Amino acid sequence: MTEIIVVTSGKGGVGKTTTSASLSCGLARRGKKVAVIDFDIGLRNLDLIMGCERRVVYDFVNVIQGECTLKQALIRDKRLETLYVLAASQTRDKEALTSEGVRRVFDELTAEGFDYIVCDSPAGIEKGAHLAMYFADRAVVVVNPEVSSVRDSDRILGLLSSKTQRAEQGNGQVKEHLLLTRYSPKRVATGEMMSVEDVKEILGLDVVGVVPESVDVLAASNAGVPVILNDNSDVSRAYEDAVARLLGETVPLRFIDEPKKGFFARMFGG
Amino acid sequence: MNKPADAARDKAADAAREHAVEIRFGQVGLLQVRLHTTNPGAILDELTGRTATAPHFFERTAVCLDLSTLPKLPSAEEIRAVMDVVRRAGMLSVGLAEGGASVSALAQDLDMPVFTHIRAVNKPVPVVQAAAPAPEPATLPALMQNQPVRSGQRVYARNRDLIVTANVAAGAEVMADGCVHIYGPLRGRVMAGAHGDTEARVFCQAFNAELVSIAGIFRVFETIPPELAGVPVQAWLAGEDLRFAKIGE
Repeated sequence: MTEIIVVTSGKGGVGKTTTSASLSCGLARRGKKVAVIDFDIGLRNLDLIMGCERRVVYDFVNVIQGECTLKQALIRDKRLETLYVLAASQTRDKEALTSEGVRRVFDELTAEGFDYIVCDSPAGIEKGAHLAMYFADRAVVVVNPEVSSVRDSDRILGLLSSKTQRAEQGNGQVKEHLLLTRYSPKRVATGEMMSVEDVKEILGLDVVGVVPESVDVLAASNAGVPVILNDNSDVSRAYEDAVARLLGETVPLRFIDEPKKGFFARMFGG
Repeated sequence: MNKPADAARDKAADAAREHAVEIRFGQVGLLQVRLHTTNPGAILDELTGRTATAPHFFERTAVCLDLSTLPKLPSAEEIRAVMDVVRRAGMLSVGLAEGGASVSALAQDLDMPVFTHIRAVNKPVPVVQAAAPAPEPATLPALMQNQPVRSGQRVYARNRDLIVTANVAAGAEVMADGCVHIYGPLRGRVMAGAHGDTEARVFCQAFNAELVSIAGIFRVFETIPPELAGVPVQAWLAGEDLRFAKIGE
């Protein structure tokens, strides 16, 4: 049974592509056969984050328009052998995507025995984002703990409950998960940033993961290695936890409290 | 002169070349003067009093005389006297309202048309009226909304109350022709009495609304009054005044 997971947010720059890359690596590391697809036609980034940008010959749009086969366009990851990347086109625009074409690609991936299809949605609520979520079984809504990101995520959650195939056919709901990124417990403690509880309360959803703000993310992106593969990083551990929760395991939330202060700091630090 | 007017005129000119006249069905509003007496003096007093309040509105306005409320059918002479005072009040009598064979005969004597009432029983009911929706029963069950209302979504309960058991996000809108009850946190906009019911109220469990409106009278909350934020609140109309109070106090 193939499950389609859309990683979406509404707002740009919150970490959708980083999350797509890390979640798909995490699923593949657990032996699942995973295809991760970049829906951001014209602004492709996933291939960079995955470190396969030099190996892109054919892309998603080529497959949809019948210019190559799906097999030719799927790029096998060099680190994890059950992980495949389908890059976006850098030269086309979003109009090149069609609902029928996307469905065909998903059907073919299903027939190939993929366990998960991870769709990296573009920002916004236009065609690319709509098609990325349309066929989804589950959605991971990436949100930063700040008001505009939370508002946009709320909008996306509204679309997920009305503008998806499941909603239109009355075939149950898209299962929604919240993933907080760029979380800084220290700034939450000083009141500069919204807390996990605030975000949960506003969006009325449980969180599938809380990823701390870290310099490791930028370093990993520049190196083309999904951050989940950096085993020394808290970010990697946070994404591993999120993958475990997506697979139905119960894992307590980490990295949401400020590191404990020492005795003297507590007594005299105010 | 604007283009559409020119186009309409051209079209009219084209039509004139084909036919001398065109007969088309059109509906126009017509004032009715319902007579309780045929005493010209009393009518003139009454009419000049009325027209004084809005002289331009009544100036050269076509009126139809309704004789149905007179104790007995007046003579043609009496009607001519009435038409005369109506004219002196600034209006023009253009016909009689339908009232059976006697009124038709009177109209013939006066050489005036008889205007048929839309509601006249002997006329087939016009299609427009048949298609008009029957008044819906007042006891429609409330519309239940059990899913969160997300930013950008709107929920409208027509002719009934709305009950939301989940949250209403900032940027979302919930509306009802009746009352609105919200059992999750309310951060969006809420409108009760959307069709003007001033008795409608808003009830919510945790008040943080952006805007509250009842029967079109609204208030935006740039900053929520601190004593209302996050607590159960109800809102209602007292005359033109939108009022708020904590529930349970």
